[in-house]
Amino acid sequence: MNYDRPQELLKPVKRRFITLTFVVALALELLPLPQGSNRWLPDFVALLILYWSVNQPRRIGIGMAFGIGLLADVVSTSMFGQHALAYSVGAYLILLRQQQLVMFNLGQQTLVILVLMMLIQLLMAVARWSVGASLPGLGYFLPALIGALLWPLLTKLMLLPYRSERH
Amino acid sequence: MNFANTPSFANQGLQPGGRLFLCVLTSLALLIGDSQYGLMEKARDAISVVLYPLQRAANVPLNLTMQVGDFFTAQAALKRENDALRERDLIQSSHLMRMSSLEKELQQLRRLNALAAQPSHAGVVAEVLYTGRDPFSYRLIIDKGSSSGIASGQAVIDENGLIGQVTRVQPLSAEVTQVINRHYIVPVMIERTGHRALLYGFGGGVEVRYLPISTDIRDNDLLVTSGVDGVYLQGIPVARVKQIDRLGGAAFARVRSEVIAGVQSSRFVVIMPNRRLPAAPPVPPPTDAANTDKKSP
Repeated sequence: MNYDRPQELLKPVKRRFITLTFVVALALELLPLPQGSNRWLPDFVALLILYWSVNQPRRIGIGMAFGIGLLADVVSTSMFGQHALAYSVGAYLILLRQQQLVMFNLGQQTLVILVLMMLIQLLMAVARWSVGASLPGLGYFLPALIGALLWPLLTKLMLLPYRSERH
Repeated sequence: MNFANTPSFANQGLQPGGRLFLCVLTSLALLIGDSQYGLMEKARDAISVVLYPLQRAANVPLNLTMQVGDFFTAQAALKRENDALRERDLIQSSHLMRMSSLEKELQQLRRLNALAAQPSHAGVVAEVLYTGRDPFSYRLIIDKGSSSGIASGQAVIDENGLIGQVTRVQPLSAEVTQVINRHYIVPVMIERTGHRALLYGFGGGVEVRYLPISTDIRDNDLLVTSGVDGVYLQGIPVARVKQIDRLGGAAFARVRSEVIAGVQSSRFVVIMPNRRLPAAPPVPPPTDAANTDKKSP
């Protein structure tokens, strides 16, 4: 019995809600946080892209991931195309096995997300390294780990507005 | 159930593989275009202007908490700060009095010697909006841009010393690369002796490289900008020497140093005006080249 998955009927997800989640995630990147915080703060935009491409693959696919990646590039003052590359590869890998992923329970999904978040970080590091930045240490993957651990919480949170009133 | 596991019968457009190929190709092109040729500055400007309201909105909660915190500052703390500021003001005004007479004297001497007058030192104060979340580079985003007359290449300081240089200007904001960024080089001199050297950032710190072992340098020496580069005014404190390793086998001493300015903590910064250097003197025609063995510069 798979009791992680919601058993009740859900209302359809509005496009407005998806946009709002991305706006909030981008705003989080713009917060004037103390400088050390990027050692542990996960990449919420990446997490959201993975979430929506698992749960709404028609709305958020490779193209959308690419576009949002470009925005993230400007927001995080990195090279153009760095986030776009990593996010579109992440979305593609999700879409390859989306129909299986959506049947997984939260624990299994978290493991997959951990691997994908690491891969996204690795792709960005390689992209930066190839245009002349130094390779970061292993601590660079800590945000990916924290992001994956937040996955069950994120899934629960995102379903809240879409529970129908009658159970 | 949500609609996620309904199969997609009608697949419009490209296959996922083809889409990925297109996206990866475009990103690689953008990456190379941006890093090697700087082609994307216009697009970056446009997107940053669109994102500016979001940027301001993200700053609202923090500003509010800071204002509330300011309101409830204890009387004693205010008094203490006021006293400290008054004391500093007294000391600085005495310095300033001497400075103004010295400056006048210097201008006079420069006029006598037909040298270009130094530009005035008025800067623009800006607030740090946020630090980029990019772990590969050390950058700050400030809230003044080309609309306030900021140009790339200007030096940025705080009350203690040099923070870095404006490297990218957008209409309403600008990006400052910090001295601790990799490949960032500042021409400095040892304040005590006047010996010139180069201070390299290596990503998270600074060090003096290529300093001969015999150089007179000690712990706690202050490194200030030498002003020979045409970017920084002379005498801005940059770093303090922490430890010197003179290894027997190496030609150069290893000098570890520590940045003085609050590169990671300052909330307000001052952007210094660009220096206007006199034009380079014309190269003298090669007279009597056979006689002297000089190479032209």
